[in-house]
Amino acid sequence: MTRRRAPQSSEAFDKLYREHIDLVYRYAHRLCGEPESAKDLVQETFLNAYRGLKHFRGEARVSTWLYTIASRACLRMRRKRKGAPERELSLEEFIPTSDGEFRLQIPIDGLTPEQALENKELREALEQAIEKLPKKYRMTLVLRDMEGLSAGETGAIMGLSERAVKSRLHRARLFVRRELSGRGIAHDDRQSHDDWRPKEARS
Amino acid sequence: MTRKKTHQAGEGRCLDILRQLSAFIDDELPEDICAELRRHIGACPHCEVFIASLRDTVKLCRHHQPPPLSAHDRARLRQEIYRAWEPEARS
Repeated sequence: MTRRRAPQSSEAFDKLYREHIDLVYRYAHRLCGEPESAKDLVQETFLNAYRGLKHFRGEARVSTWLYTIASRACLRMRRKRKGAPERELSLEEFIPTSDGEFRLQIPIDGLTPEQALENKELREALEQAIEKLPKKYRMTLVLRDMEGLSAGETGAIMGLSERAVKSRLHRARLFVRRELSGRGIAHDDRQSHDDWRPKEARS
Repeated sequence: MTRKKTHQAGEGRCLDILRQLSAFIDDELPEDICAELRRHIGACPHCEVFIASLRDTVKLCRHHQPPPLSAHDRARLRQEIYRAWEPEARS
């Protein structure tokens, strides 16, 4: 994507909307976990982009500018809603306490990630795990591992150092890994890829 | 056949490794530390399985795609944004 000044006319804004609506919606959906809230966030993002056009100097990519606006809007929207309180994730909580827990794994051996994600239960388990993350960890994981941005870009969007981004990302990955692998599918007790239910639900 | 040495859960070296796994996966560690980690992972079934599951987690995140916005919703959203913005633009 090229660096450029943001458009000032409604015609140019139409172009901005056409070129970035899919990116903004995809990001919003990943943050919100469902379509209706994602659409609200898209509206808020583009409205704020309109309002902020005069301040945009083209120093960052347009996409980075929009990610920043969407991230801030998301944090504001979520503060207004009731939900689980924000909490810090400590590394200690992810340290396996038994050999079995160490060896839990995600049953996608032999499948490409695309094939594995065709399994509805695995896909939903991943989505639920991401949704359960405290929002600042979720945002970091979404920007780095889902949107594919660098630690530097993620830090610029979230107002964090690269070191802080890497620390949050590591905890977020460990959280999602534990949620996915903790569903009772152990290394030496492999089930069919089609059966992704917890062990107790399979009997 | 030689059997790999099995560590006890929570053993010191494994915990050091666990702290560095994302940096290892992302190729952010100096080569000497990577080589040391690879040696440990090759000898420790616990860490080998743990890192495989963390790599799988990252791969799944990278490939997960939310459903796309429909053409209808794309047009409707644009209209709604314009409707909300027009009064501000005129003032």
